[in-house]
Parts: sequence; C-alpha cells; structure tokens
Amino acid sequence: MAQLCDEAAVATTGESSTQLALRDPDVRLMLRVRDDDESAFAELVELYHHRLVTVMHHLIGNADEAEDLAQEVFLRVFRGRKKYHPRAKFSTWLFTIANNLALNALRTRQRKPVIPLNVRDSGPLGPRPAEQLVRDPKGQPVHRMQQQELAAVVQQALETLNERQRVAVVLNKFEDMNYAEIAEVMELSTKAVKSLLSRARENLRQVLKGYIYMDSQPNDNGVQE
Amino acid sequence: MALSEEDRANLAAYLDGELDDETAQTLEAKLNLDPEARAEADELKQAWSMLDFLPKVEPSPSFTHRTMERLAIHRKVETAPMPVSQRFSWFVPMTWAAAVLLAVGVGYGGSFWLLPPAPPRSHADPQDEQLVRYLPVIERLRAYEQVEDIDFLRSLDQPELFGDDSGS
Repeated sequence: MAQLCDEAAVATTGESSTQLALRDPDVRLMLRVRDDDESAFAELVELYHHRLVTVMHHLIGNADEAEDLAQEVFLRVFRGRKKYHPRAKFSTWLFTIANNLALNALRTRQRKPVIPLNVRDSGPLGPRPAEQLVRDPKGQPVHRMQQQELAAVVQQALETLNERQRVAVVLNKFEDMNYAEIAEVMELSTKAVKSLLSRARENLRQVLKGYIYMDSQPNDNGVQE
Repeated sequence: MALSEEDRANLAAYLDGELDDETAQTLEAKLNLDPEARAEADELKQAWSMLDFLPKVEPSPSFTHRTMERLAIHRKVETAPMPVSQRFSWFVPMTWAAAVLLAVGVGYGGSFWLLPPAPPRSHADPQDEQLVRYLPVIERLRAYEQVEDIDFLRSLDQPELFGDDSGS
C-alpha cells in the first residue's frame, strides 16, 4: 500500500516524492499516515514532539500551552494527511503549521494578555535573589541564582520581539534552520528573513546589553564563529 | 571607519554565515579595522549566546499517549455518520421560506379575490363604510377561519359538486 501511495504521489507531483521519500524517511512516514496508518503517525509524534514543544515553549513562554499547541500541530498534520504532497522535507511542512499556530496564539495573547498564576510558568522567579541569599548563607546558589535570573531576563527579552522576529529567532537558534529554510517555513523571502533576524538580534543586544558580560568575559578576537 | 546602515544590517547575517564570500570579506575587513564595530559585533554574538540560558524543555512523558487519545476521539467524530438533521439541514430553512412566500401569496391574492372593490366615496361614516366594505367577509368569517390556503378555497368553487351559492 505504501508503494502504491508513492507511485500515486509520483504521478501527482511529477517526480520528486519518491526521491524525497528516499532522502527523508519522515516523508515516507507521512505518506503512510496519508494512507491512514496510525502507527506511522505515532512514530512521527514521538520523533518530533520534543522539538515542537521546545519551539512552542520558547515562543509562548508557557509549558502547558506549548504542549497544547504542539498537540494541535500534530492533529492538523493528521487532518491534512489526504492533501499531503511531499515537496520539501517533512520538518519544513510541520514547522510551517507550527508557525501559523504560534503566530495566531501570540496575536491572541496580545489582545488578551495572560497573567501566569503558576510560578513555574513565569520562569524560575520563586524567591527573590536577596531572600535566597538569606536562606542559603553558604552562598552556593549564587551561580544558580544568576543562571535562573538570566533565564528570566532572556525570556523577557525574547518577549520584547514582535511575533515574526520571535519565530525567526527560535527557528534559527533552536532548530538550526538557515535563512532559506526559515523563509520556507514562514512563507517569506530570504531577504525578509535576513531583515527580521537583523532587527531581532539588534533588539536583543539592546535589551540584554547590561547582562552580556555577567557570565563571561568580552571577546576581543575574531568575531565570526 | 564606522559601520554603515547596510553593514549593520549585514552583521547578523555575517555572524550566521549567511553572507556571500565577497560581502563577508568586505565586512570582516571593516571589523578588523574598527574596535567599536568589533565590540558591537561581539555584543551581538554574546546576546545571541544568552539564548542558551533559556530553560531546557522536557515535554511530559505522556505527550504521545495523550496525542493519540485525542486522535482517537477525532477519528470517531470523523467517521461517525452524519445525523439526519445535518444531512437535510437545508430543508428546514427552505420550508420556512416557502411558508412565508405562501402566506404572502395567500394574503395578497386573497385580498383581491375575497374583498370587493372599494365603493365610491360617500359622506357616510367611515366606520359604516368599513363595515359595508367587509360585510361579505364578516358574514363568512367562521367559514374562512377553516380555510388554510387560497387553492383550497378555489377548489370549493365547483357548482357541479357543491351547488351554486351565489345567491346566499
């Protein structure tokens, strides 16, 4: 049945679906999902859920909502299975759906701000730094406290970016996507992605300027990685 | 040599290795000559590295299981037969529309058929005029209340079946 699907896909797309299936095993899995193979779908969920939840978490800043959104992405993948035509890597298609859902969620949040009740969701801000120092007189948690503070500061810095800048940053940083891949996911030109990331990184630099050298020394050598 | 706006716009792409060789080399030369520009590039790099401080995310262990459960519910909805009410959902509004049209038609047609033409103007009392005008209807009101539509009424106009009532 999978072979029949591949042949049908070849007939529809012209040539590349079989090649894509060979290059990308996840495309092959998705073609099985198109054929109503639920075990293939479960495999895809298992393969991608960690990455998807991570991306959603960094975008939304809320663990529960991130999981809900990630689940919704997978359900949309399943619902759209009959219309699936492999034209790119499976992950590109997956993150395109994720991008659309994330942007909608971020825009909804802007209209209806969510005040986190769970301390965990607002970042590791439990006890304030001074209180923690009093509780831990040996001073050991200072480094951990700094890291936790920095985590909260970085999360807040990320939230100063607009939705598209945020998505571009998260995809570039945590999914290692290059500009062309990000452009495909976000349905923008490569030039637009370059501009987005340029402004996003400049914004982050401005917001995080005061914290940049807290954990490391400035580097005066060659700057390119 | 200070960085131009274009150089600044290219800086992030340079750090990401996304510039073509020629543009990258030109920018690198400027950075090597300008400590301020170099410091700016370094700040960009450091700020980017700070994203590593974001908390590590671990999805709940039951994520896949819960997703498959949601899928099962979705499949049940997907494959359930459509209720009759949904299959013929067009029928109800169409029926209402037809009933409204019929009522309008009966009212309009009935007013021509049942009501006599308006009498010539006289100096009589308007109330009396009204009574005179609608007398045929008033006299037969009890019978008309039993009639549902004009076609039914017309179907009664068959002297060979019901006799001729024109005189009464």
